[in-house]
Amino acid sequence: MFNKVLIANRGEIAVRILRACRTLGIGAVVAYSEADRDSLAAQIADEAICIGPADARRSYLCAPALISAAMVTGCDAIHPGYGFLSEDEGFADVVRAHDLAFIGPSAEVLERFASKEATRRLLAAHGLRTVPGSAMLRDEAHALAEAERIGYPVLIKPSGGGGGKGMRLVRNAQELESTFKVSRSEAKAAFGDDSLYLEKFLEENRHIEIQVAVDRFGNAVHMFERDCSVQRRHQKIIEETPTPALNEAQRLDLAECALKAVTAAGYENLGTLEFLVDNKGDAYFIEINCRIQVEHAITEMVTGIDMVALQIKIAAGEPLGIAQSDIVATGHAIEFRILAEDPAKDFRPQAGLVGAYLTPGGPGVRMDSHLYPGYEIPTYYDSLLGKLCVWAPDRATAIARGDAALRELLVDGVTTNIELHRAILANQVFLDGKVTTSLLDRVGSAPFVAAGSR
Amino acid sequence: MPAREQDAAQVKRDHAAISSLADELLPALIAKLAASGLGEIEVREGGWKARLRKPATVEARPAAKPAAGAQGSAHGAVRGGAALARAEERDRRGASDEATADAEPRIAAKSPAVGIYNPRKDLAVGMKVRSGDRIATVNVLGVNEDVVAPVDGVIGSSLVEAGEAVEYGQELVRIELPEPVADPSATAPGRETAGTAGKA
Repeated sequence: MFNKVLIANRGEIAVRILRACRTLGIGAVVAYSEADRDSLAAQIADEAICIGPADARRSYLCAPALISAAMVTGCDAIHPGYGFLSEDEGFADVVRAHDLAFIGPSAEVLERFASKEATRRLLAAHGLRTVPGSAMLRDEAHALAEAERIGYPVLIKPSGGGGGKGMRLVRNAQELESTFKVSRSEAKAAFGDDSLYLEKFLEENRHIEIQVAVDRFGNAVHMFERDCSVQRRHQKIIEETPTPALNEAQRLDLAECALKAVTAAGYENLGTLEFLVDNKGDAYFIEINCRIQVEHAITEMVTGIDMVALQIKIAAGEPLGIAQSDIVATGHAIEFRILAEDPAKDFRPQAGLVGAYLTPGGPGVRMDSHLYPGYEIPTYYDSLLGKLCVWAPDRATAIARGDAALRELLVDGVTTNIELHRAILANQVFLDGKVTTSLLDRVGSAPFVAAGSR
Repeated sequence: MPAREQDAAQVKRDHAAISSLADELLPALIAKLAASGLGEIEVREGGWKARLRKPATVEARPAAKPAAGAQGSAHGAVRGGAALARAEERDRRGASDEATADAEPRIAAKSPAVGIYNPRKDLAVGMKVRSGDRIATVNVLGVNEDVVAPVDGVIGSSLVEAGEAVEYGQELVRIELPEPVADPSATAPGRETAGTAGKA
């Protein structure tokens, strides 16, 4: 096992990783930018080190700063969290070159799964159904020809993107023509890579993902699925497990197929395979996330597995220590992403000083957050303030607990989406378990916002 | 946790003190400084202080550091947790009640990166430096990044030993300013006056 881990991330996940390290009895150093000097992770850490200015390119995305910080503090591993450098094979490689362990898949594995297009081909070869898509687009004419072949509507997707960032929906050739150049320059600016591809847009789909864990000895398990269909502009807002969209046999079949394919393709460490599921229950593989996910907590709640600790153990070269038959999912869990954004003002990100902060409690309630009273939310990073997760023996009770917990949660001083969550929970489509990924965008958030402010 | 509640109350008091400084004291102070011909003026309020300094010949203002632990922690890069930093801060606050005439401007060359500190061989107290002069390096994975003097001045005490690990932004070497000279041509005090607010 490692001696000491550098936590190369911020916000709630930095706190989460710190807790996992303490549970495992290993040391941890929180690396923070100047803007995060007063962050909760830096406050509660035994050791913390400032790695650079607020600008993430010079701090959380700066490989030399992170590696130097790990070395001067005597760490032997780096946990990248999610986002930032978590899936960067170049970073994983240079970390290893400095005799440090990267807590995640090896550079080779990351490289193999780096391109979404290549990953789709690889996993299709191992038996997963994929969404009809294009090759990498050479130019506009190529894009138009490929879109014609696949059939509109299509999504323009940046190969280097993730989490729905940079995707655009086009319904016809005119829209494609007017969007193509913009998408390309956006992709270049956001990901440093302007390669784009097209994917057939499945209307009325659900987003369901399978959690897997594979150690370096080839032991592999899945931890069932998460349903992340409540999205706004391709950003997940609410996740739940199990999915209300599939029956028991379909769920197990999907999880087993995903695990078999990804293991055969040589995956290692924690990973998540994302699928779009149509109204017939057919699942199309779209991408793999080679890192811990934001929404891992609901899987922890139904399985009882500490996934961050498991991830650290795998990276340290230990065997999984659990067999598939040991993993039982019990009850129903729901996660609400608490975001500093104003639903009434086009979800504009909010910053400011947190006044009173009260977290909910009671059976099956978990709050993973980096907030505290008096915390100043910096403007430089994403708007995630925390994750409120609830567990109950069944879905209806989980929804009731979720609503009760959301009513209790108080974040003064900053506008949040707490009331939007309550409005979604009260919506019949959600209660029926029939939310699709486009619902919020199609209906618009306005009815939910209006309901939430009543 | 009572400690947390205390922190919250402390933060509230701090913010009240800061807004009082910003709203009431600063405008009056700026006017006073402009009229006085003094180089620098400082006031305290509830554990916080505001210091106004007329710009020296070059941009003499160190980056405002509102956070705890940022200021001249000579205890090395790796803080032993925030609790320690807060304790230091309390100590400083207690001490500052006695040291009322703390007129010495505190300016320091700061670390540009996380790494190992190496001062220039000929670096010595009393040495004159110009703004931008390289006075040390910080070794980041074998690459030396320059530590430069932020202002024209004289090298003061070193806050870090050669070979020590330092963090980004850490104060490394004090730079003493030459005697402040009042600039009679100073106009529009609001724009001409460099102001910093920091924890005392």
